[in-house]
Amino acid sequence: MRNFLIIIIALQGSFVMAQNKQVLYGFDDVPQSLMLNPGGKVLQKKHYGIPFLSHIHVNGGSSGVSAYDIFKEGNDNINDRITQKIFEMRNTDFFTATQQLEIINFGWRAKNEIYFSGGIYQEFDFIAYFPKDLAILAWEGNRDYLNYEFDFSEISTTGDFMTVYHFGINKRISKKLTVGARLKLYSSMFSYRSVNNSGLFVTRLGDENSENIYEHTVQNADVSVQTSGYASLRELDGAGQVTSKILGRAFFGGNFGVGVDLGFNYDLNEAWNLSASALDVGAIFHSKDVENYRASGNYTLDGINLIFPPLADGDPTFPYYDNLEDEIKAEIPVDTLYNNYTQFRPAKINLGLSYGFGRFNASGACDCLNMDQNNLHKQNIGLQLYTIFRPKRPQMAASLFYQRRFASYLSAKATYTVDSYSFSNFGIGLSADIGKLNFYLITDNLINYTNLAKAKSVSLQLGFNYIIDEE
Amino acid sequence: MNSNFTAVFCMLFACLFFSSCIRDTDFDQAENITLAPIVELDLIYFNIEASRFFDTINAVPILTVRDTTEIRFLDDGTLQESLKRAEFYFKFTNTIPREFQIDFQFLSEVNDTTYTTVTSVAEGTLTAPVITEFIENVEGEGILQLTQADKVVVSATIPSAEEGLKGTLNLKSKTTYFLEH
Repeated sequence: MRNFLIIIIALQGSFVMAQNKQVLYGFDDVPQSLMLNPGGKVLQKKHYGIPFLSHIHVNGGSSGVSAYDIFKEGNDNINDRITQKIFEMRNTDFFTATQQLEIINFGWRAKNEIYFSGGIYQEFDFIAYFPKDLAILAWEGNRDYLNYEFDFSEISTTGDFMTVYHFGINKRISKKLTVGARLKLYSSMFSYRSVNNSGLFVTRLGDENSENIYEHTVQNADVSVQTSGYASLRELDGAGQVTSKILGRAFFGGNFGVGVDLGFNYDLNEAWNLSASALDVGAIFHSKDVENYRASGNYTLDGINLIFPPLADGDPTFPYYDNLEDEIKAEIPVDTLYNNYTQFRPAKINLGLSYGFGRFNASGACDCLNMDQNNLHKQNIGLQLYTIFRPKRPQMAASLFYQRRFASYLSAKATYTVDSYSFSNFGIGLSADIGKLNFYLITDNLINYTNLAKAKSVSLQLGFNYIIDEE
Repeated sequence: MNSNFTAVFCMLFACLFFSSCIRDTDFDQAENITLAPIVELDLIYFNIEASRFFDTINAVPILTVRDTTEIRFLDDGTLQESLKRAEFYFKFTNTIPREFQIDFQFLSEVNDTTYTTVTSVAEGTLTAPVITEFIENVEGEGILQLTQADKVVVSATIPSAEEGLKGTLNLKSKTTYFLEH
């Protein structure tokens, strides 16, 4: 357990959104690919996800450091490695974690040829950018950083724990074009964010005219944290009560939001296919159990100025320390606010271009998976692009993929991805049907799979579905 | 094919998946992680006029003046655990033509003396201020005593004073805290 915690801390730092599912995107054999493109090709007639087992997704990433970087065996000192990493990493590096658990997922093709799908899933997202200046201050102190301006704007982190209810439609509106949309209702159980902060802290060596040796200055500080679902947890006793309270909000008990997913799939010709989707275009409106904190102002600390007042025996002197504390509180007040706030979901955009070859014919006798004229190929290669809009800047990834259908019951997809984490991320996914039971397993970072400590990100998705194919 | 190929493929995939592990790492090293910041922080400062050492009403010298301030951060539990060394730096600038003895007496919350130090300040002149620097390094047992304190009494003692004595005794000070978490 201890090691597990260390891994989480070292590798992920905390919990975020590293939601690129490059293997699952366009992997039409898996019904959950519809969650990445509501306008994707639907091969089945109906599907029912096995409750709580249809999609399990965990993902953690750290763009600047791996567990191996810190904890590798060797004769050098672990503190020297941490020092080296702190200075190597940039303030745009980040730690992320995402976890999704589908509670239910289902879909069916209606008589009007619209494929309806819906479900409920729970999601946990976290991102924290590396606050390099504050890390240096905590790790090294200010002695060797006189006149260096420690920047508060590097503090940027968000976290969400929510339930998502969704319902989508997918229709092939021409031989070439399939479009889809999904409406989402978010029920936030717990949320916090601290973004758009500003200000700096600097220790300057004073001159002859200065009151004291140094001037410790907080300048133009404006640091805030917005929370919802937190205030009511403070009074609770123990993890059990907290967990119970949070889970109690899972079903329409929290703050609500709405969003949409949109997507399409277009056959440019027999071989080439273009697809795109925009996911989680929406916002959550936090109004219940909201508590926000904001510290702002300017202050220069010179130390304590002794006055040496003439006093009679027994008379107390000035309360210098209390006065100093009061002065700081007055100049940089920490306000607790209860105003509602709107949090935009981190929208994601997927784009895919694929080239298919080798007409798929599962049985050799008939084109069983291709009765509705979908252009299924035995093999596909292509390019995918992914963008997620993060607090500081969009993060992008580009993937090359190769997809192969081995048989009507087995297909696989491999990807090579370049992203913020690495230039060597190979992923693979497998979808297998055993009768009507579909099982899929997807993972990435295969190069580091034999030693996960070296991976800067890890992702795993798996699930079971009950699929009824087109007859 | 394809069934053989499929079986091999699936087995390879399963092997790969289940063979994942974490190697060549030693997470016990986490116990050796030490945050060791070195923090520079202003302490106290003052300007005492020479006239403060003479009671003009009663026409008698005041040979010792003192003042007290709380420094509550010093006996904070976290600092008690993490402070390994403290280096006080005092810089006196004296334009009073007298030497001074300066006493720093650290007191606990119940006014027990936990740590003391003393220094002398060279005499100066109005036209030629004299700077006296004093560094007090505290570590080991001294740290245990120092971090029991939550206030400090500063006393300035002058050997003699008379009406009309001119000048100022100025102090600037800071502490370097060597911490280990």
